[in-house]
Amino acid sequence: MLRLAAILALVVLVALPLSVWPAAPVTWLAGAALVVGSAGALALAVALTTVAAVLALLAYTVALLTARPAAEPASAMVFGAALVLLLAVVHLGAAVRGAVLEPVVIARQARAWLTIVALGLVAATAGVVGGAVLGPALAGMALPMVVIAAALGAALTMAGVSALMITRGAPPAPDDTRHASRGTP
Amino acid sequence: MSWGPTALNLSFLTLVGWALFLGVLTGRAELFVVAIPPVVALALARRQGPTPALTVTHEVSEERLIEDEHVTVTVTLRADVAVPLVELLEPLPARVTVVEGSHHAFFTLRAGETVRWRFTLRCAGRQRLRLGGPHVRQWGPLGLAAGEARYRASHAVAVYPQFSALRHPPRPGRTQTSVGNYVSPAQGEGIEPGDIRPFAPGDQVRHVNWRATLRLGPLHVTQHHRERNADVVLLLDTLSEVGPAGATVVDAAARAAADLAAAYLARKDRVGLIEYGGQLRWVRPGSGRAQLQRVLDTLVDASVVFTYVTRDVDLVPPRILPPQALVLALSPLLDPRFVRAVTDLAARGFDLVVVAVSPVAAARAAVGGGRVADAAARLWAVERRGPIDELRRRGLTIVEWDGVEPLDAALATLRRPRQRRVLA
Repeated sequence: MLRLAAILALVVLVALPLSVWPAAPVTWLAGAALVVGSAGALALAVALTTVAAVLALLAYTVALLTARPAAEPASAMVFGAALVLLLAVVHLGAAVRGAVLEPVVIARQARAWLTIVALGLVAATAGVVGGAVLGPALAGMALPMVVIAAALGAALTMAGVSALMITRGAPPAPDDTRHASRGTP
Repeated sequence: MSWGPTALNLSFLTLVGWALFLGVLTGRAELFVVAIPPVVALALARRQGPTPALTVTHEVSEERLIEDEHVTVTVTLRADVAVPLVELLEPLPARVTVVEGSHHAFFTLRAGETVRWRFTLRCAGRQRLRLGGPHVRQWGPLGLAAGEARYRASHAVAVYPQFSALRHPPRPGRTQTSVGNYVSPAQGEGIEPGDIRPFAPGDQVRHVNWRATLRLGPLHVTQHHRERNADVVLLLDTLSEVGPAGATVVDAAARAAADLAAAYLARKDRVGLIEYGGQLRWVRPGSGRAQLQRVLDTLVDASVVFTYVTRDVDLVPPRILPPQALVLALSPLLDPRFVRAVTDLAARGFDLVVVAVSPVAAARAAVGGGRVADAAARLWAVERRGPIDELRRRGLTIVEWDGVEPLDAALATLRRPRQRRVLA
């Protein structure tokens, strides 16, 4: 079931670039993403799935560059949400391989994933609205300034995310866990 | 419990980096929008609430087993606050397999909820199985953070060697003073009739042999032999080991020792055990079911401990190795120190039987099949004949056993000679 969910997310990732520009270079990249991603989903390999997601992202970029459509944030939000779900599903599948797993566990995990994805979509919507408000203000600025601002923003985002990863969590309270053991008399 | 990011963070970071890089490069706003959900997921993964307090109870159904029997492990998990995803893994020792359930499980718990997790293990080999409790890993949202802890439990399950009934255990040459199942040469109270002699004051009327009295005239009584028990000491060689784990010559010898101990204790004999190896351990001779338990407990821990030091059997006190005892040595006869020790015992007049556990079958099991292995096994078997025949010429009683066929079949062929002088 987890493999099926991962393949569904992968199909969404592959279908979006093709819906923008179903041309040869995009098709090749999307096909490669589908093959690698399917292998990753079936083998429950996070590394392969990540490669497939990057290939799908490249296909999306090529499609946007080639077709030059009007800005469409909705499909981009779906693409981002599918990326998150794909990686989360494959990662859980790899972790639970061979273990006892009740359906209620998957149901509660799916609910948690959808909550996070919904929050991500809300944040993306807020970003789009903010960009739409900020866009006219930057209309008169020189092009290098815009590129520098974007690059600076991207660099700051990456630095912040990296810092999140590197920073360790808060130390646990000394009495946060208890255990007991008892043998049969 | 220590929390840290998982490898999944790197995947998210890679995607975010690519999306931002391509967005800056191409100037398309969609690529920045694509990066937002993963960034939100990464940010939420670091926003952790209080670490859920888990109470883990670890129980085992049995603390004593025979080889190939099953033990059920029950882990009870209780959370005071909601736990989105918790992973439990019970590490399995060698020669233990899961026959029912799984030793790896995932659960999700609501506040105050209790989960009971159960799985059954099969213990294939003689060992002291130590189940140290499960590893617990709590997963954060989306699996981007995880906290791990080990819940210590001190359960030791003794897996005793499997033993079977013996019909032909070697008969002790000398008996002791307590009542047992062997007919003693000494006269006294018993049920085995002996000599006939004239009646003497003090003889009981029920001992009068009326047939002899009618034939001979004066009253005659039948004397009886006493039924006595014997002391048996099992001498287990743990100086050398051959074969795959769980099927070594020491394992075979331990099974044989368990068979012999059970058989002699059932005959009211006193049984002791000496583990002759890198460590010299012993069980003082005794009788009864408690003694069988003591012997089995020692056999469970019998293992090869490498040492260059030769310990003489002189170190063993006489109360552990009584002079009248039947000594049953169980050994592959690979280590010259053990051969020297049994020769020394026989020279000192001990009633000694050596059960030579052949290492050839165990070695074959370890190396697998093949013509070269077959030829090597045959050659080795032939080579072993020489030293064993030499020991027989020196007066030792040796029973050859391949460690595979029932021990009773090997012991049935034993024809014990009268006590002979042994050339040390």
